[in-house]
Amino acid sequence: MGPLVPQEIIGADWNLLIAFVIGIGFGFVLEQAGFSSSRKLAGMFYGYDTVVLKVFFTGAITAMLGLLFFSLFGWIDLNLIYVNPTFLGSAIAGGVIMGAGFIIGGFCPGTSVCAAAIGKIDAMVFLGGIFLGILFFAEGFPLLKDFYMSGSMGPLKVSDVFGISGGVMAFLVIIAALIMFKLGELAEKRWPREEY
Amino acid sequence: MSVKNIIFIGLLLLGVVIAMVPENTTMPYKLTAEEMLVEVQGAAEMVTADEVAHWLVSKDPSLQLIDVRTPDEFQKFHMEGAINIPISVILKDEYRDYVDQGIRMNVMYSNGTIGSHQAWMILRQLGFENNYVMQGGLNYWFDTIMNPQKPASTSPNEEFAKYDFRKAASGVFGGGGGGVALTAPTQTKAEKPKIKRKKKKKAPAGGC
Repeated sequence: MGPLVPQEIIGADWNLLIAFVIGIGFGFVLEQAGFSSSRKLAGMFYGYDTVVLKVFFTGAITAMLGLLFFSLFGWIDLNLIYVNPTFLGSAIAGGVIMGAGFIIGGFCPGTSVCAAAIGKIDAMVFLGGIFLGILFFAEGFPLLKDFYMSGSMGPLKVSDVFGISGGVMAFLVIIAALIMFKLGELAEKRWPREEY
Repeated sequence: MSVKNIIFIGLLLLGVVIAMVPENTTMPYKLTAEEMLVEVQGAAEMVTADEVAHWLVSKDPSLQLIDVRTPDEFQKFHMEGAINIPISVILKDEYRDYVDQGIRMNVMYSNGTIGSHQAWMILRQLGFENNYVMQGGLNYWFDTIMNPQKPASTSPNEEFAKYDFRKAASGVFGGGGGGVALTAPTQTKAEKPKIKRKKKKKAPAGGC
């Protein structure tokens, strides 16, 4: 049956509309959960607040288990799911830049839009920075192209690299997540902060 | 036990379950056994040798004959305009554009009905359409079209009409029934049907 959009059970127009509704809902929940506070997000790196880690890992695990179980029940064809191609070199560099921006700015791209929407000036400045970054990257792309394309490995899954099944991989990710949740709570006790 | 611990244990259990079950149990076949049964009983996939002869004589551009026998047999004899896709390799990617398409009408044949029907069943279960089987295969083709037998004088008129057509057609295809002139079909080499495949849309990258 699924995935609904590539199989055209949901048409392109409805796809946009549904994406719009989900996007609004996502932003609303982010804001309500306090993710529009840059201090909360930066707390992830200082150890006093690890909600970001828990929320996004929980989201990832839920989606992962959902896909695997749907596939098990024959509700979705995993071969039709789009897998991002891996470019190892640029992915590592991009991760470092993104992480640094995360700590310095106190937002990730999505939460900065949320915070800007409720009128936070620092978030608007952050959005300006994102815009400049996109502009410089796009204009400088010919210079960066070789590096950008480096380490191309195609649409790769970690489970394929290790030669294990998707289910075992999912189990390992869940274990890793639970350990990280525990470590996060320990960190919150170790480096507590009353007001932020 | 706190709610948090219950959720932890629940996640862990789900992880154990998903790690234990075999992977990729998504049904590779698009049609269930029941649906196939209905299709087979309907026999809508069967086309007669007369129909094929008619399409060949009228140079129907949508007809694509597919010979599912071995390359050796194909070399020895094959019908005009036929391409050779042996049943052993019919699922290979290189033939995918021939067997999974929505433009041409693929008529598969082998010596009898069985080989081509096997090929058809596999393709049909994968959900591919526009594939048909020439009933009776080449044996029947030779018996009826290439060497038509004159019906008994007491036969109904339709039998004679059929016989006349077969005799004419056999002349076209170079059979022994010859006599009546029909323009010979000049089959061009089979080109792959040009199909605009819908590209997989790139999903927007996620992230927070």
